[in-house]
Amino acid sequence: MTYLPYALSVWIFVCGLYGIVSSRNLIHITVCVSVCQSATYVLLLAIGYRKHGTAPIFSDMPTRGRTIVDPIVQSLTLTDIVVSVAVAALLLTFALKVFEHHHSLDPGEIAGLKG
Amino acid sequence: MTPLIPLVVAVPLISATAIGLIGKWLDERAADAVGVLAALAGAVLAALVLARVTTGAHPYWFGGWRPRAGSYPLGIAFTPDRIGAGFAVFVLALLAAALVYSWRYVTAEHYLFSILMLLFGAAMAGFVLTGDLFNMFVFFELMSVAAFALTAHKIEEATPLQGAFNFAVSNTIGAFLVVFGIALLYGRTGSLNLAEIGSRLTGDGKHDGLVVAAFVLIACGFLVKAAIVPFHFWLADAHAIAPAPVCVLFSGVMVELGIYAVARIYWTVFDGVLGEFQHPIRDILIGVGCITAVLGAVMCGMQRHIKRLLAYSTIAHAGSFLIGVALLTPDGLAGSAVYVLAHGLAKGALFLVGGILLIAHEEIDELLLQGKGRSLPLAGIAWFAAALALASPPFLGTFTGHALLDDSASKLGYWWLPAVLAFATIGSTAAILRAGMRVFFGWGDEDDPLLSQEPPESSAPHERPSLALMQGVTLLLAFAGLAVGAWPGLAANVVEAAHQFVDRVDYTSVVLDHTPPVPVPREVWHTTTSSVVWSVVTLAGSLTVGTLSLYRARLPERVTDVLAHVLAPLRAAHSGHIGDYISWLTFGVAVIGGLFAFTIR
Repeated sequence: MTYLPYALSVWIFVCGLYGIVSSRNLIHITVCVSVCQSATYVLLLAIGYRKHGTAPIFSDMPTRGRTIVDPIVQSLTLTDIVVSVAVAALLLTFALKVFEHHHSLDPGEIAGLKG
Repeated sequence: MTPLIPLVVAVPLISATAIGLIGKWLDERAADAVGVLAALAGAVLAALVLARVTTGAHPYWFGGWRPRAGSYPLGIAFTPDRIGAGFAVFVLALLAAALVYSWRYVTAEHYLFSILMLLFGAAMAGFVLTGDLFNMFVFFELMSVAAFALTAHKIEEATPLQGAFNFAVSNTIGAFLVVFGIALLYGRTGSLNLAEIGSRLTGDGKHDGLVVAAFVLIACGFLVKAAIVPFHFWLADAHAIAPAPVCVLFSGVMVELGIYAVARIYWTVFDGVLGEFQHPIRDILIGVGCITAVLGAVMCGMQRHIKRLLAYSTIAHAGSFLIGVALLTPDGLAGSAVYVLAHGLAKGALFLVGGILLIAHEEIDELLLQGKGRSLPLAGIAWFAAALALASPPFLGTFTGHALLDDSASKLGYWWLPAVLAFATIGSTAAILRAGMRVFFGWGDEDDPLLSQEPPESSAPHERPSLALMQGVTLLLAFAGLAVGAWPGLAANVVEAAHQFVDRVDYTSVVLDHTPPVPVPREVWHTTTSSVVWSVVTLAGSLTVGTLSLYRARLPERVTDVLAHVLAPLRAAHSGHIGDYISWLTFGVAVIGGLFAFTIR
């Protein structure tokens, strides 16, 4: 068993977080959120991975004696991707509307309420 | 009975879809009526479920994927128990009230608003009923996405966007933490069913780094939704701008669901394997809860934007709810549950009064509204009734919940906790009373050096709707909130429900082996003298501090200068900048995770 995919997942997540924290552009932040989400895909797929396993498709191949990767985490990943599309779409809409009103995408310039 | 369980979620979901399909051609009032009826039908169904799950959880396996006794559960189950089903009733009833209120409140693309509200309510109901970890995440995300869109509903205005953006990014990062935790648990146990994960972890008995990391990630992820310090920043931004009927659901139930989730996951999954570490878990979570309660109360006192003030009061209360759950006793959990009920109704009424003020006077700023509330006596009555309910007066409002928390804390030796809870209650309620006295009585000075900057927002709907219906709903919620404390037998019922909630062995055997639990007679809880004393203290304290803080401008300049200096860093931290919020979030997860890693070994 290798720890590389797990380390990679954490690395991607931290990269995304750094991007959000340091960003000066709402669209860039949206992309960074998607980067963070990619970390969850990597982790989920890594957990379901089996060495020398094939895709979990049973229709045209005998199943006996064959290693397959875990199909559950793959469907979890798909669900996760659907969620990320919805969130990204909303965030981009917000960014668009912000630009229409403020002619700026800098989160530091649009902050309305403080304290 | 069994087929009713999924209908609680399905009825609002299907109605939302139906409105979406034909809403364009439907008369606006007809779409409204469908929305309200769907919410009410869901609430009635949930109440029927609640009436029948008296002995504990009752599993419903979708598609009949019922595991045979002792075998591996492949299906997805709803496992309503009395706390979960009770929460679903509350969510859908509050949704119905919010929809009735928004009858004329939200005008632009009204049917789309109804769809989002129904989706939001259905997702929250599903979240409390489910017994499957990933299902929980899906409902969590559905409720989040609906909530983001609802926050930005007034999209033609400029101000909602910043709050909606911060809300969306913070909560999405929180959800990722939950996914990380779920993935780790699935990798260890190969299951997503809460009962199965719990029994496998307990059977393993290994409390290694993976289990602790999974617990920390899931708990922190859900605590982002619960607005626990330092994950709370999004809440004030989102509440300040969301339409008033949406705020009712945000403050009344959505935030509390984050704490519910922590309780549900702890008691079904981690109680067995981390059971011997109850002490450190309790201390850490109570510490976080205390910081939240105190910070929320302090920030609450400095707001002049009325909805933002109420939002900080919600943070203070969320801290108290977390303390109740963190006591890890059935009494503490029951205290939080009753507290959530009374708080949700009262806080809902307060937000609705805010909405009425916004419509009647096109203003939501306390100082600019001074005395203008005199023309709205019914709204004023609702405001003070709801504020009274939150002040925890003897045998009214939040009293029962407060008393259960106090007793449970004292029994465990946390003698100082009632004082922290009283501080949070006094701080937040005093601010609410201060705003009410200034707006509805016109009392107080015209300026207050300690309040924050004047808010830029004032966004009233263009058409002026009739206020009668809105005031009726508001009064109903306010007095219902007061009545919760006077409801005889409520405490005993909830304490019993909490005993069932924390019984992991019973839950597991019901869900996996279908053996009905044996009813056990429980100790009856009685009001103690000390809780009555504390409630008199909070009531008197709230009234005194609230009245005095109307005249803070008369303090000597030196005193206000010092106070302003002390509070300045706190104010500066709430910068409205999403990057800062995510830094705090990362910091919070690191600190909480570090504390758990050091204490659980």
